[in-house]
Amino acid sequence: MALISGGGIEVDLPSGWDAEIYQRPADQGASSVLGLQEQTNAVLHAANFALPSLRGDFGSGAVELMTDADLLIVLFEHNPEDAAAPLFETQGIPLPLSPDDFAPGQMQRTLSGLAGSQRFFNAAGRAWCLYVVVAELELAALVSIANDVLASLDLQEI
Amino acid sequence: MTAVVIIMGIALLLLGVLVLGLLRSHADILKQLHDLGAGDRANRTRPPLRTRPGVPTPRTGVTPAHDIIGSTPSGGTLKIGIEGSTGLTLLAFLSTGCLSCRGFWEAFAREDLALPGGQTRLVIVTKSLEQESTSQLNKLAPAHHPTIASSEAWDAYDVPVSPYFILIDGSSGMTLGEGAAATWPQVDNLLTQAMADLGVAPSTDSQGSGTAARSGAAREAKVDEELAAAGITPGHPSLYPEDSADEEESE
Repeated sequence: MALISGGGIEVDLPSGWDAEIYQRPADQGASSVLGLQEQTNAVLHAANFALPSLRGDFGSGAVELMTDADLLIVLFEHNPEDAAAPLFETQGIPLPLSPDDFAPGQMQRTLSGLAGSQRFFNAAGRAWCLYVVVAELELAALVSIANDVLASLDLQEI
Repeated sequence: MTAVVIIMGIALLLLGVLVLGLLRSHADILKQLHDLGAGDRANRTRPPLRTRPGVPTPRTGVTPAHDIIGSTPSGGTLKIGIEGSTGLTLLAFLSTGCLSCRGFWEAFAREDLALPGGQTRLVIVTKSLEQESTSQLNKLAPAHHPTIASSEAWDAYDVPVSPYFILIDGSSGMTLGEGAAATWPQVDNLLTQAMADLGVAPSTDSQGSGTAARSGAAREAKVDEELAAAGITPGHPSLYPEDSADEEESE
């Protein structure tokens, strides 16, 4: 196991896992067109397979590479002022995840052989979306592994 | 007659002394050779291996695989899983400040870069951000391959110089090859040779299973698969050239 941290996120990951904690630079182009200032926040990607360098915040670019034994965890922070919104009313990381929580329709984009689960919650005064994608073939085993990893997750105020 | 016998006796005595002297001299030579280790391969002390200046001395042991934790060029946190991972990982230890690394940064920026092993994952490892030029690193880091800044990785892999390359088979945790070279074609050639020597077949299979194709059962299975794809299945006439020759003769 190896502890990684950044952006007020700390998680203990098994050997062989890839992970990245980052905060994407704001999209200046969109800001100038819409006259709005995009706000970006912390994102965690953790996977039991090699993550490609080019990925979307919700794992696009990575989920397409997943095989029958793969698991991807995405933790996406929304703007802190949203933490009080009804969508994020659940206090703390909603664990454990159950295999029944997973369905292909929960994916950002449906992909054959994969199932996803999305949970919204607030922790440390911050608004979060937990998005987990697993291979359906090993659903129960992979959800169990995801629960083990997520149990080590520590979210802090920043 | 008595005189002849006495002369012959003296001559025999002199010859004996001469032979004894020669035997003693020979024994001294053998003793000195033994002290130098000649003829005793097991106990011979090898002289230290010398290399040209700037060329690192080859390691005597195998470098074990380690996961790498460090920073992205933009300051995020990155973990690259290597231990127990499937497939091959090529670690390229580069620096923003080394002139001989420039060619590699440029080569790795190419989207059509072919890596030995087909499905090999390239990971560029620099020293930690405080020891690199972050503005340069952000310019040089290729978009399609992860770049991780981690001085700890340089220590863990005992990297002697930059640029330096280590090819790892994650499933076995084994280093397949490592070394320094001046250009990417040289590195590609060295790694391909190392893989061939170890029976790890470079694969250009776009469906790559993610594991190194090895000699033995896996290699046999791959050959069977390729033969089947070409329409050559068990019992195919082309597999029995002698029978074919007999048939031709009978016709």
